[in-house]
Amino acid sequence: MSFGLLYLLLLKATLISFSGLASLPVVRDELVLQYGVLSDGQLNAAVALARAAPGPFGGYVISVGYFVGGVAGGIAGWLALITPALLAIPLVHYVARRAAHPRARSVVDAIVMASAALILAATVPIATQALGNAALIVIAGASTLALAATALDTVWVMAAAAAAGLLAAWFGMPL
Amino acid sequence: MSGKLTLAALARVFLRNGAFTFGGGDTTTASLQRELVANRGWLSEQQFGACYAVSRVTPGTNLLAFCTAAGWTLLGWRGALWGLLLASIPGAAFLMLMTGFYRAAISNPWLASAIHAALAAAVGVMLAAVWTLLRGPLRRTPARAAMVTVPALVLSVYGWASPLEVLALAAGFGLLAPKREAT
Repeated sequence: MSFGLLYLLLLKATLISFSGLASLPVVRDELVLQYGVLSDGQLNAAVALARAAPGPFGGYVISVGYFVGGVAGGIAGWLALITPALLAIPLVHYVARRAAHPRARSVVDAIVMASAALILAATVPIATQALGNAALIVIAGASTLALAATALDTVWVMAAAAAAGLLAAWFGMPL
Repeated sequence: MSGKLTLAALARVFLRNGAFTFGGGDTTTASLQRELVANRGWLSEQQFGACYAVSRVTPGTNLLAFCTAAGWTLLGWRGALWGLLLASIPGAAFLMLMTGFYRAAISNPWLASAIHAALAAAVGVMLAAVWTLLRGPLRRTPARAAMVTVPALVLSVYGWASPLEVLALAAGFGLLAPKREAT
């Protein structure tokens, strides 16, 4: 499969989805069922790998591209992942021009509060999956406290947690 | 903590969050909220809300749309481009490397242990972001904050409305019930 065709097929999938894995049915339909260049096992592995990597879960299209076309395929997947984001520029430009109006400020204020609720709702399944033992619960609690009580950058908290994970593995008790 | 907003400083924030924040787009957005709004004060809460809403109505990956919108809001084209590239390239490189060695990567106990611990910390990142986003509205207009957040949370947790629908409902509330803050 050519670089251009792979890019267009993955772009089609990302353009018609509005969250990370929503593009999955289209990717499966095109690459597994129609073109036969990807197996269901590879598709599952791509999703699992994206969950274990930094960045959005939607990045699984990079792994899909890699399985289909090696490094060039991975780059095609990355391009398909980032291209739709450029549509945010005219949208935010439009919103910003109206942001000073009191009613617009009221709308945005309500959206900020709703976005906090959405982040909290998104935390529930991640916490359910991620906090499988007491040590992981302690790490989550300590991270919350460190971030709520200090101005520490998130990256340091993540790095400290990963180091704790490595240390636990070093002592033969992987988390 | 705050710092001067320059392209290099903004690029560092996007790069670090793109490279080291595990747990998916919501976690990275929460982490960026902390760094761009709470810690550095480069984005106001209102600008964050606008970028967040735009990222939800933009096709594709919400996180990358958020980074593009935030970069554009802060530094125009250059900010948008660097935000998009630096938030996506580290994860993409990591993912391609892992895909190349995926059998070994998935079964490596050291890597798995580090990732599990980072995902636990991601829960803390998200809870802290919720707190920093809500503490202002809860102090200024507690009743209004409850009227928006409680239904939004219930609708989302039970899956009765998509994130897009929740934001649309909140926008409708904001439109029909203008904010009256104490002066």
